Amino acid sequence: MNGALSGRDPHTLAGAYALDAVDDAERLRFEEHLERCAECAQEVRGFTETAARLGHAVALAPPPGMRERVLAQIGHVRQLPPVVALPVPEIPEVPEAPPSPRARRTGRSRRSGPAWWPKLTAGLTAVSVAAAVVLGVMAIRAQDLLDMSRQDNRQIAAVLAAPDARAVTGRTDTGGRARAVISRSRDRLVFVSSGLSPLPESSTYQLWRIGPSGTTSAGLLRPDASGGDPPPVVVEGIGGTATMGVTVEPAGGSRQPTSTPLIMLTLPEA
Amino acid sequence: MRAEHEPRPREDRGRPGLEELLERVARGDRTAFERVYEQVAGPVYGVVLRVLRDPAQSEEVAQEVLVEVWRGAARFESSRGSAMSWVMTIAHRRAVDRVRSAQAGTDRETRAARLEVHRPYDEVAESVQTRLERERLRRCLDGLTELQRESVTFAYYGGYSYREVAELLKVPLATVKTRMRDGLIRMRDCLGVER
Repeated sequence: MNGALSGRDPHTLAGAYALDAVDDAERLRFEEHLERCAECAQEVRGFTETAARLGHAVALAPPPGMRERVLAQIGHVRQLPPVVALPVPEIPEVPEAPPSPRARRTGRSRRSGPAWWPKLTAGLTAVSVAAAVVLGVMAIRAQDLLDMSRQDNRQIAAVLAAPDARAVTGRTDTGGRARAVISRSRDRLVFVSSGLSPLPESSTYQLWRIGPSGTTSAGLLRPDASGGDPPPVVVEGIGGTATMGVTVEPAGGSRQPTSTPLIMLTLPEA
Repeated sequence: MRAEHEPRPREDRGRPGLEELLERVARGDRTAFERVYEQVAGPVYGVVLRVLRDPAQSEEVAQEVLVEVWRGAARFESSRGSAMSWVMTIAHRRAVDRVRSAQAGTDRETRAARLEVHRPYDEVAESVQTRLERERLRRCLDGLTELQRESVTFAYYGGYSYREVAELLKVPLATVKTRMRDGLIRMRDCLGVER
């Protein structure tokens, strides 16, 4: 109902968020916004400290016996594992695909993502953790992995963790970027895009598998609620797919591409 | 850097801080947990009771929160805020979750009536530090506009969502959101909260 409204300007929700005065959906959406807005994240930190002071000021002596009950109880509670830095999956990168003839080509493998990928701030939610790993811009922490609840993220993690994972990167003429991490053994790839030009509501970006047996849709790239980059897409059933392409299609997508691909990623073979 | 700020509520010099204690708790140190308990149990119980009002239920929730502190100590990251605020966030959120889950079918009037006997400062444990802190908080709350103060306190102490606050105060949603944010900005600056 008013979700779209608050989605449009999530910034104003910082106070309500810090006071726990939002519902679960709003909380999630706002936390996703926080990843992209370092300023908001800092404001929320200050608000959270402030709220804690409100709480601290109403401290009361706890009921007698509570201490003993708590201490007895923790004897039976397993602690969460410590936060450890996992190695960033080392995904060998195949040379960057054209379309631009000036596109820089290096054969070197790159562990961290190219400098143009968005820098992500702390306070990650599952989707951004997945994106971060795909983009290779930062280390992922075990706790974040544990926090991943969405099926997509498990699938993403599985692709990234595959021993045969390879990354390939491409760009559009207008500064859009795309990256795919593929695992032939898992028959899946993860596709991430960034900086694609906004489209009118009448059209959409569509992702395609292009292989010897023809071209099939691999789904639409939907910007998130606040107009940010689309979340990662997991493409299953890679089979003999040689290339991934992105085109602009009428809203809702097409059965076959109706325009020239903006990006073509040539996938490494097994 | 800010020229003047009042110190955060934190323990005397020479004793390990809450942050350090939590690190030890994360390693399974029960003695450290007992010391954490001494520091946080009062604030945790106080804020939970403030929101829930029912002592039996509050004790149950406070206990859950403290066990969660033990369980999740490894999740605390000092780069994201103070240890006390980490604990208080868990406590407040648990209390609010309890209110909301119990709310289905519950008479809203009851909760409104509960707020009429709204005495945010009168039940506090007798410690000098807490009393000074409470006085400072009251001064800062007094510096807010009425709508800011009501928006912040109904949400925090009453466990109301901003939609409920808007309905209660008969103001538009956008206004309540703005007042909560503005109110917290003023409180933050008045309390000298580090950012």
